Amino acid sequence: MTFKSVLDIDCGIRFLYDKLPLSSSSARKMLLESEAMKSKRDIDIRYSKLNALYNKNCGDIAGKLVCLKDISATIRRTGEGAVLDDIELFEIKYLAIVAREVSQLMEKERIAVVNLPDLSDVIEILDPDSLNIPSFYIYDSYSEELAEVRKRMKAITGFGEKALDDEQMTSLALLQQRNDELENGVRQELAHKLAGKAKKLEHTLKNLSLLDIMIATVAQMKELGLCFPAIAEGGETFYRGMFNPMVKAAVEQRGAAYVPVDISFEKKPVTIIGANMGGKSVVLKTLALNQIAAQFGFGVAAQNCCVNIVDKILFSIGDDQNAEKGISSFAAEMLAINEIVESIRRGDNLLALLDEPARATNPIEGTALVEGLLEVIGKSKGGTVVATHYNIKNDNIKRYRVAGLKDGRMDYRLIETESGDVPHEAVAIAEQLGVNKEWIESTKKYLN
Amino acid sequence: MPFIKEILKYDSLSIVGLEKNVGKTECLNYILSRLPLQARKVAVTSIGIDGESKDQVTATKKPEIYLREGVLFSTSETYYKKRKLVSELVDITNERSSLGRVVTGKVRIGGKVMLSGPSSNPALSRWIRSVRALGADITIIDGAISRLSLASPAISQAMILSTGAALSSNVNTLVRKTKYVVELINLPTVHEHLFKLLEHVENGVWGVDCDGKAVDLGLRSSLAVTASELKIPADIKYIYTAGALTDTFLKKVASGAGVKDLTLVVRDFTKIFIDEMVYRNFVHSGGRIAVLQKSRLLAVCINPVAPNGFVLDSDILCEKLRETIGFPVYDIVKNRYDI
Repeated sequence: MTFKSVLDIDCGIRFLYDKLPLSSSSARKMLLESEAMKSKRDIDIRYSKLNALYNKNCGDIAGKLVCLKDISATIRRTGEGAVLDDIELFEIKYLAIVAREVSQLMEKERIAVVNLPDLSDVIEILDPDSLNIPSFYIYDSYSEELAEVRKRMKAITGFGEKALDDEQMTSLALLQQRNDELENGVRQELAHKLAGKAKKLEHTLKNLSLLDIMIATVAQMKELGLCFPAIAEGGETFYRGMFNPMVKAAVEQRGAAYVPVDISFEKKPVTIIGANMGGKSVVLKTLALNQIAAQFGFGVAAQNCCVNIVDKILFSIGDDQNAEKGISSFAAEMLAINEIVESIRRGDNLLALLDEPARATNPIEGTALVEGLLEVIGKSKGGTVVATHYNIKNDNIKRYRVAGLKDGRMDYRLIETESGDVPHEAVAIAEQLGVNKEWIESTKKYLN
Repeated sequence: MPFIKEILKYDSLSIVGLEKNVGKTECLNYILSRLPLQARKVAVTSIGIDGESKDQVTATKKPEIYLREGVLFSTSETYYKKRKLVSELVDITNERSSLGRVVTGKVRIGGKVMLSGPSSNPALSRWIRSVRALGADITIIDGAISRLSLASPAISQAMILSTGAALSSNVNTLVRKTKYVVELINLPTVHEHLFKLLEHVENGVWGVDCDGKAVDLGLRSSLAVTASELKIPADIKYIYTAGALTDTFLKKVASGAGVKDLTLVVRDFTKIFIDEMVYRNFVHSGGRIAVLQKSRLLAVCINPVAPNGFVLDSDILCEKLRETIGFPVYDIVKNRYDI
């Protein structure tokens, strides 16, 4: 599970990613290519580092990291002993200088979340005159002969106040040629000296990018009110005050208040029933979002929580039409759910999230399909959460229902319940939406 | 030394050729060899792939740019590696081209280099900001006629026009064509209150009435005008089109009754895409065009030699142009203007 692969799951993770205030493109690339963390130790270490950064002033460091560029190709060439051109040598010197400056800022702020190797030897190689500025050329001090050639060139050009005659142009061209040869010689020496430093440079680039990701994550946690999760391996997952940042932002923009929910589950399957527009799908999406957030080291969207580690997330939204394969939405859904069933029965550790499975068929068979599904899944390592409108009779499942309509207003909270009886609020909600009155009257007649 | 002192009054300059091979590069070399570098720090770049050693269209040899010590220059990675001078790399920008990233160097020992820098208006603005941060006092952009919009006053305060036999081998045609462009460059600017009113209008066609109020004329752009659409209320004094000004639109305005009391306003001369005859008819019927922003045209340089070998008489050409356009005209190569 790379971050890039989960970015398209429709759960609000792209919202978090887009809002993540990363400074450098190098960090962005690293994040996209990163794998989900699957050990409690790794995840705990990441959050303890974020915690250590939480009250630090990282503004100056973030400002420096803006200059960080992804020079992994250049570093790889360095390691291979390739002769680098001035542009590549500049890149390496620049990285070393940025790293040194970040290192100094980290020391000042007493930040030690990443380890930056000492690159003073690299700087010394690429800054022979100790000028301490992030620019580069093959300096005169690299070679006495080079300095001599350049002195002669300069004697011809001066400051350019005179136009050169043909003879001068010819000698200048010859000297330029010699200059280029000598520069190449120096570049070969530099390549030799730098080859052994590639590992250190790679490490530096990686850790600076990681630092950038962590600083951005902490800033986002503060901005969106995200929390540090507790991490479990094979225990209960619970969220108190869980919310979806993307939906919350949209709701608050409308001037309304977002209602957070509480939910918990273990191995036993969980069903969520409730009125249409009661937020069932948002709960499933947020569960997917928070699982991703926890395993990639983001802040989790809840007041507090404990997240059980899984190897993968399978999220069936149930309305993908696979026109290319020429199958209906029902068929596509059945095949997608079958993948989940097979995977759970193999014993895979996955979080299965199913939004209204079998909704596209008749309610009698649909109900039976979901009941059969819950029975065959039984207990699963990562947990199964199913949102449904069907009256599910299974034992051995945990049930939630959305509190529902009260005095004409929707209460989105989740309430644990014993009964599988689904609420009958669809007509009232349709009425509230202002659909055709005669239709509603006629519907009520049939209901009675 | 013609027009060098003039250049020093401005902090940005672009050099624009009216055709390929009209001596733009010689003109640039002339300026770069004579600007007093001790007093002012110069940064130079060229738009897009202008500046390759051989012209891609006519395969004639193009001179490289000679840069003196201390000059900042921006070019592609590919050309930076091929430079024939000693320079210090001071910046790698985020601009990319087919020849790699655009990098900035500072000349340590004078020599030649091919320039190929940023190739869009926003990229050029970013370039100007970046070299100013590196200490440049004057930015010089080697422009391209196919990208005349990059000579816009939003990018450069001052401008030098380069024209020559490559544009036309007929002196009269050459003079007429050049005169037309000079006329457009020198269109008058609007009053300050009108500038403030329209400065931030990014699209559409707007009228301004006698009380100085802007009225949306209900067109997405001047390109959208058709027979029925353009209705100009009687009290409108100015019509501002935020985008391109085209023949169709101009004819539409000219056909209206009140053209004598109207002034058409565009952002700057690079937005004008009008055939000379249409323009002349418009002016003849009493129409006027004004601009929000204007570059100061400092001089016109000529190259009497066409790429096919045809040579015009330099002195006659200079004299005739000077008479017609009322501007200083120079043949840089012939007269050399040695120090």
